[in-house]
Amino acid sequence: MTDIKKEIETQEILVNMGPQHPSTHGVFRMVLSIDGELITDLTAHIGYLHRGAEKLCETMDYRQGIGFMDRTEYLANFNAELSYVMAVEKLMNMEIPERAQWIRMILVELNRLSSHFMFVGAFGVDCGVFGTPFLYSFRERERLIDLFEEITGDRMMYAFFRAGGLAWDVPVNFESRVEEVLLSSEQGIKDMDGLLTQNEIFLARTKQIGKIDAIDAIDWGMSGPSLRASGVDYDIRKAEPYLFYDQIDFDVITGKNGDVFDRYFVRLQEMRESIKIIKQCLKHLNPGKTLAEGASRNLRTPPGEVYIRTEAPRGEYGIYLVSNGENRPYRLKIRSAGFSNLQALKDMVVGSYIADAVVILGSIDIVLGEVDR
Amino acid sequence: MLINLLVVNPFLDNLLKVLSLVGLMTISAMSLIYLERKIAARFHMRLGPTRTGPAGLLQSVADALKLLGKEDIRPKSADPWSFELAPYFVFIPAFMMLVTVPFTLLLNVQMFTLGLLYLIAISSVSIVGWVMAGWGSDNRYALIGALRAAAQGISYELPLVLAVLCIAMLSQSLNLNVIIESQSTLPNILFQPFPLFLFFTAALAEMNRSPFDIPVGESEVVGGPFVEYSGIRWSMFFLAEYTTLLVMSILIVALFLGGWAWPFGENLGTFWQIMLTLLKTSFVIFIIFWTRVSIPRMRIDQLMNFCWKVLIPLAFLQIFFNGFILVLELPKILLSISSIGLLALLVVIVNKSIQNLNKEIVS
Amino acid sequence: MTDVANNLSAKFNDLWKKIDSEISHVDFRREEDITKMSYSDLLLYVKKDNVTQFLEKMKNNKVLDFNYLRCLTAIDLQGDGIEIVYQLYSLKHKYNVTIKTTLQNDDLTIDTITNIWRAANWHEREVSEMFGVTFNNHPDPRNLLMPEDINDSFPLRKSHPLAEIEILQGEGIDPSIVDGENK
Repeated sequence: MTDIKKEIETQEILVNMGPQHPSTHGVFRMVLSIDGELITDLTAHIGYLHRGAEKLCETMDYRQGIGFMDRTEYLANFNAELSYVMAVEKLMNMEIPERAQWIRMILVELNRLSSHFMFVGAFGVDCGVFGTPFLYSFRERERLIDLFEEITGDRMMYAFFRAGGLAWDVPVNFESRVEEVLLSSEQGIKDMDGLLTQNEIFLARTKQIGKIDAIDAIDWGMSGPSLRASGVDYDIRKAEPYLFYDQIDFDVITGKNGDVFDRYFVRLQEMRESIKIIKQCLKHLNPGKTLAEGASRNLRTPPGEVYIRTEAPRGEYGIYLVSNGENRPYRLKIRSAGFSNLQALKDMVVGSYIADAVVILGSIDIVLGEVDR
Repeated sequence: MLINLLVVNPFLDNLLKVLSLVGLMTISAMSLIYLERKIAARFHMRLGPTRTGPAGLLQSVADALKLLGKEDIRPKSADPWSFELAPYFVFIPAFMMLVTVPFTLLLNVQMFTLGLLYLIAISSVSIVGWVMAGWGSDNRYALIGALRAAAQGISYELPLVLAVLCIAMLSQSLNLNVIIESQSTLPNILFQPFPLFLFFTAALAEMNRSPFDIPVGESEVVGGPFVEYSGIRWSMFFLAEYTTLLVMSILIVALFLGGWAWPFGENLGTFWQIMLTLLKTSFVIFIIFWTRVSIPRMRIDQLMNFCWKVLIPLAFLQIFFNGFILVLELPKILLSISSIGLLALLVVIVNKSIQNLNKEIVS
Repeated sequence: MTDVANNLSAKFNDLWKKIDSEISHVDFRREEDITKMSYSDLLLYVKKDNVTQFLEKMKNNKVLDFNYLRCLTAIDLQGDGIEIVYQLYSLKHKYNVTIKTTLQNDDLTIDTITNIWRAANWHEREVSEMFGVTFNNHPDPRNLLMPEDINDSFPLRKSHPLAEIEILQGEGIDPSIVDGENK
């Protein structure tokens, strides 16, 4: 056999996936060297969506920066805004009204739900189902987004959080609407269980694929569900509670194996936890103010720096804000989860099949706006 | 029957039949595309095409017109001969398959004695076209897709032939009309459910339909061999795909569901026989569409393992049982029992392999 | 203002004492200046030459166990050089620490820490293209976010203008040709 192999000259093929490819989730580009169907090497190229959000934020005052956060993490905008406004609040040493905090928590968790719905649907398409999970999950996401539109007036770029609270109070029927949406979301998660989690082909496609163990995952700086799937019990909501997460009872979901299925399943379970959190938050919602005293349009922060990290759907969304006493950041660094998670892609993909590369990339759940900023 | 009576001249007769086949091919492909879009839309809880014509009925016509009007692009680096000829190699076999399809007892172009063999032989020619398209496009996705198509097509030819063999043993013939006539009291599905599964699976793989749409999987190889095609050439691939779908479905109906014969016997009028065939065929096609919208795509190695390690050994077992039972002239109920037993065995094997994946997680 | 600063330094005192007692043979100091205070984490300064050594000790020390690199970035201090900022976290003990080192403008090079945390790879590439800092021994020193051919301008430096170098469509074409056609 070895002699025959030597005689036939073989050549590795370079396959360029992206930036225009249906399953690279935006404008991510990976160059795969393949040997038959096996992937021997991967080079990742990012930056096609780089808009210089950090530099732009340095030229605008704190209130204007909120809009840029929406545009970096465009599937979990509330989470991104939260990190940013919390950084400013921390510098200002502000007291935030309780009602505003609870509403923030509800919105952030709802946004986690909508983002994970997006993930599950897109993941189904990556696995090759013709659209059904995608449209089922998008129906649920649509309901969530309708609710966000009722609250903020926009479907995607909310710009609703302010340093010091919220832009305005939520509508009077907020609580009943949230409960209504949660009810349909619960059903939607069950649908996903039926469509994907119990499907034999889906299991065969996702289990034991793209494995990464806990030590490697930590070394690559992964965070969020992708890290927890490897069995690391690290959730910023539990480790360093912000808002009122310390008063809420919820579990941190971890996987065992760090494979694609675990990354999917951790997210699905996390959605159930989010629903649990929101239901508890609704009980704490009392009438009151939603904007802190002294929160003006043009804030001037004292000099200093702060690094705020929150648990966004994709992992740690960190804002490193350096102020020199002006009304705008001196330096703003956005530490996005996708950026760090994506680095580990090469470790997971090399040695698997071409079809797996797509599924593994889908399981990391990147948002290119957040990766490239 | 009508055509046979009207035209006496055999040359004119055949010409008319072939022309009507071309018409049938186009119309059936267009309506199948429309149906697939509508059915998939229902599964997705959306509406599908609604704007063109009543209930969007003219959508396929509009699409066809658009495709005809499109520029026929050939990439500069493509190999002109194989690129331009590939659609014909896919299209013509699909067309030739229609020749011996049994719509009714009398309504067909030519019923061969070895019709089944002819169909199986012709259906595998299209693989050549796929490989030509992939190779000629000078595109890596196309090449990967074409090689996948070749590997998959050739592998699944075997279960297809073995399933057909099971039926041929039962009916003692390769003539499709004889096979159908033999089922006028009880259809073959009652005796041979496992070969039906075998044939259905292999046919899906032959047609590159989900969950075996690996060569064209748009989330991986973005359409496979057809990446570089546009306009009329691309639509020829599409036409061939849906014609194959139709033929394969009619074949399943003929082999397993009693074709035009079961349950009303052979003396039904031609019209009702056509209706019966179409009804059963629509049912099979619906199930194929249903599979497409609900099952993820398999991976190429899983596909190969499934074929060579599971389907083919079980198919040989079925042939062995059939031969045993038929030669010893044992009661026919044993055929059903053996076949259902094999089907159960298949389920057990698949479940076991999924459980093995779970076990590795624990260790 | 001073209250806030006092509270903050009290908050991080325990960790500071721990690090101080655990890590020896490396010079590092704590930020005492109120105007440079970090409001969220303990802030340490290390000399440029000691950074790799210090970070390695922070990671491998069993008591501290800073095994997670949150973030790596840089700040342009204009005349005072460029600061490289490392945010570390200990998953086990839930400690956070920010470590800073200053590079002088005439020598913008520093050793890579990709051999300590692979996570630093892309972060260092980003800092390198955005600030013009060279990371010695970096395994893959290509541009990350910017096009491959932009190696001479560093967008996140304060001296970099925001909009002036934007090339409009049609610019960069030899004007004489256009003029020639017009004439």
